[in-house]
Amino acid sequence: MSEYSNQSQSGSDYEWHYEYYDEQETVSFEGLRANRYSIVIGFWVGLAVFVIFMFFVLTLLTKTGAPHPEIPDPSEKHHGLADCVLELSGSQAFSLSPLPDQSRSLYHFYIHEEAVKDAVISQGRHCGRGPRLRLQGAAEDERGDEDKHFLSDFHIPNFVSSDQCRFFSRPAGSW
Amino acid sequence: MNSSTEALSTHPTDCAEVQVPNQVFMAIAVASLSENILVIVAVIKNRNLHSPMYCFICNLAVFNTISSLFKALENILLLFKEAGHLNSLRLFELNIDDIMDSLLCMCFLGSIFSILTIAVDRYISIFHALRYHTLMTMRRVVVMLSTIWVLCGTSGVLMIGFFEAATVKIFFVVPFFTALLFILLLYVHMFLLARHHANRIASMPGLHARQRQSGLRGALTLTILIGVFVACWAPFCPHLLIMMICPENPYCECYRSLFQLHVVLLVSHAVTDPAIYAFRSTELRNTYKKMFLCSASRIFKECV
Repeated sequence: MSEYSNQSQSGSDYEWHYEYYDEQETVSFEGLRANRYSIVIGFWVGLAVFVIFMFFVLTLLTKTGAPHPEIPDPSEKHHGLADCVLELSGSQAFSLSPLPDQSRSLYHFYIHEEAVKDAVISQGRHCGRGPRLRLQGAAEDERGDEDKHFLSDFHIPNFVSSDQCRFFSRPAGSW
Repeated sequence: MNSSTEALSTHPTDCAEVQVPNQVFMAIAVASLSENILVIVAVIKNRNLHSPMYCFICNLAVFNTISSLFKALENILLLFKEAGHLNSLRLFELNIDDIMDSLLCMCFLGSIFSILTIAVDRYISIFHALRYHTLMTMRRVVVMLSTIWVLCGTSGVLMIGFFEAATVKIFFVVPFFTALLFILLLYVHMFLLARHHANRIASMPGLHARQRQSGLRGALTLTILIGVFVACWAPFCPHLLIMMICPENPYCECYRSLFQLHVVLLVSHAVTDPAIYAFRSTELRNTYKKMFLCSASRIFKECV
């Protein structure tokens, strides 16, 4: 953001210059111990360190996580559908191109729910129960066993297809 | 642009102000304008994109459009001034200058808040997925966006009107750091959930290589998102702090000499925003394909 001021010097023409730099101040550059751009260098080095540190922390998080198969806890069974959708949305967010159209993703969730139910049931486990929404009391839900079939279907990059959207699209009056 | 530091620099080791040519500003402004207008047109034309998430992305594009428009206008006025056409318009120019600075300030604040709303929207869609449609109704979206516009508009006017006061400068720096903190927390929490989920899948046989790849990709996406935001916005804040804290320190003076470079970074954020937020959506890309193919086929039919 720059600021201009016009000062007429000879009466008819005037100059544009930054008010940012005050003419009255004089800065002495003598006797500098460090490099004069040390604040600039320090700032950018700090910024780079921050970004790289953040990247390393995030990649470290991707490498941790035990490869042993999980035994589902009885205490976790009550989480149910909400947690399942949560985890699937989470995998969508960072497994694919980030966060496709969220308002349609839940519809697709239920479409795929029907499509893979056979595969799911054949393995004896499923996450969530069809199109019915149940936040609590899905007592038979087992966690940690979202099927690879179910999840591999979510690795479809184009999550929003216009055909299905036309079917599901609401008019603007969903306000 | 005449630099007043010429009066100051008597010593040969002074930090001369780094000048960025107007053409650079102009090129960045035009690129940003075209990208963001494309985003706005695509979101308006495609009914599938009339959802809260795309409303926030479109809002960001609107702020970026206005800021790049006025940056381009500023450059055009500078060109006219250098050519000597503006000599008779003093008062007019002074008001225009203040108005443009207020609008630029409003747009910069607006884009920070828009990025924050996009992060909040994504967070709610992940952590409250089943209640998302009741939480994020279009009515609430409109209320949120109007609040942001009113807040940014008044802030822009106040900040330029009372720029000398230190509180005004603090009022720019504090929202930036608050927004950065929130964005960091929200995205890292989302990332942790995705990782927790991926680690549970990793317990299944046969998916290890894929999961590690997707994990790195997620980390890279998040790093780019946060990194670009910080790299574009953070260098500008120390200018405001330096004006308050150490206006006469030679080290601070050398930082201040890079002002135009940092404004270039600020404006270039409007160019990278569509690439990070909007163009990653396949639905939006399909809209563009349809738009351009339709217009191309129409031109072809007319020619034939």
